[in-house]
Amino acid sequence: MSQGLDNLKHIVVLMMENRSFDHMLGGLKKKYPKINGLTGNESNPDSAGSKVQVSATADYRGQLSHDPDHHFPGVDLQIYGGAPYAPGRVANMQGFVQSYGTQGPNVQDSHAIMNYFSPEKIPVLTTLATEYALFNGWFASIPGPTICNRAFAHYGTSFGNVDMNMFLVSDADRAKIPTIYERLAAGGHSAKLYYYDQPSSTMEIVNLIKDQSFFGVFSDFVADCKSGNLPEYSFVEPNYSDHPAPDGTQLLATDQHPDHHVLAGDNFIGKVYDCIRINPDLWKSTVLLIVYDEHGGLYDHVVPPDCTPDGFQAPEASTGVPGLTFKFDRLGIRVPAVLVSPYVPRGMVIPGPEDSQNQRIFEHSSIPATVSRHFLGGNDMGTPREQKAQTFLDLMGDNFRPDSDCVFFPKAMKG
Amino acid sequence: MAIKDAPTVDTIDFDEKAAYNPDRPISSLIRTQLLHLHLAEHIAVPEKERTNTNINMLHTERQASEYIQKVTALLHKYGKKTAKKSKPIKKKASAKKTAKSKKKTKSAQKKRTSRR
Repeated sequence: MSQGLDNLKHIVVLMMENRSFDHMLGGLKKKYPKINGLTGNESNPDSAGSKVQVSATADYRGQLSHDPDHHFPGVDLQIYGGAPYAPGRVANMQGFVQSYGTQGPNVQDSHAIMNYFSPEKIPVLTTLATEYALFNGWFASIPGPTICNRAFAHYGTSFGNVDMNMFLVSDADRAKIPTIYERLAAGGHSAKLYYYDQPSSTMEIVNLIKDQSFFGVFSDFVADCKSGNLPEYSFVEPNYSDHPAPDGTQLLATDQHPDHHVLAGDNFIGKVYDCIRINPDLWKSTVLLIVYDEHGGLYDHVVPPDCTPDGFQAPEASTGVPGLTFKFDRLGIRVPAVLVSPYVPRGMVIPGPEDSQNQRIFEHSSIPATVSRHFLGGNDMGTPREQKAQTFLDLMGDNFRPDSDCVFFPKAMKG
Repeated sequence: MAIKDAPTVDTIDFDEKAAYNPDRPISSLIRTQLLHLHLAEHIAVPEKERTNTNINMLHTERQASEYIQKVTALLHKYGKKTAKKSKPIKKKASAKKTAKSKKKTKSAQKKRTSRR
């Protein structure tokens, strides 16, 4: 076992909202060729048949006039370029502009879906991605929206759901496939979901509310980092809405969901990192994963790979794609994912589908799989998907990087 | 060595006051959150304590967050009363075996190139 794993006492996951890998990090390829980002030549046709190239002109807000479609049929169009379902059809990632074009008032507006950030515009995420480890192949768990993708981070499955409908996990399903929080608690370990505050809340409250001890708010996370009382596993959620705090302070949404201000989210990532970074004992015993739940309808050039089915099926009535019963055998679109620890070497890039010999494909089931493996020695209760999911703790090595080698964001802590 | 030795990177300042817009129409995500909490309220909260809010009348982030706050507080209040102990999960292996299996898993993962 590596020194990094020997010292590991805390796993923290921060899950942001609705941005694709290329949209946030694609611009890094120019300086860091190992990163599977954008060459600048990638394109999609618009509804008039014109070629729309990717463009480093993404703005923090106001550019996406409406929320890009990321429901199952919309993502199917994005991946397959509008080809109707048929066995053996080929994914080409050519339907993003078409998909966005169906929502907007004019063809010109639909081009914004191809925009990506130049790296200097989001300094926290791009700094962490290049200072620690970046996954070239971390994908959303299904080609669909938030609720079902986030479920994979908590259960390793969405219990057959591919949409935004609420699902209540039955006691029978829960006994077979408990949440990662319940598994840890039953094994004598500590786990907490920190949502931002009550006006923001969490999508998981409905299914997890039976055990109050699993919940905290972001101010608790800050305090727990400071006091050294962080649980063994923490899942942190950003603020989902602009709303006033009890003292009247104006709180900005930090989730980066379009059209929330992307810099508010970038600074929030910095704050979560700094909370861990500033406590020396916590810093050397913690690994932080920053990951996005799904791509939010924004362009990515990498075809999602096939995957181990999770034992459920979504019928045609749920997928909304004529003829398609989804067997959970294909992943969703690629999302940004960065692993942070002083035991992670600088500039590590974990190969994805671009390197067929060495590729490692991750998705949100990798979260409960990793946590179970580290704290419980494994897990017999997860789905087949989770059982076969890649875990990421082997990325931590033996060399502890000194303070002088690990960045700090002094202004993020003040926000 | 201490944090003062760390190289620093500045986050980007922006006009937070101008960015703040609680009157922004809610996204489909927040609309979904409202639907979920509305249903949860009817499942978990006694009738006399419910907010009796018509969520179809909530259109902005400010309005939505006020409702979400009330229901989240109620779910916490009544969540406690319905608390159940989950089924204990046995550790899969002893500490020694765990360490061994971690080594095995690591090497297996190195060998694995695809999950197709």
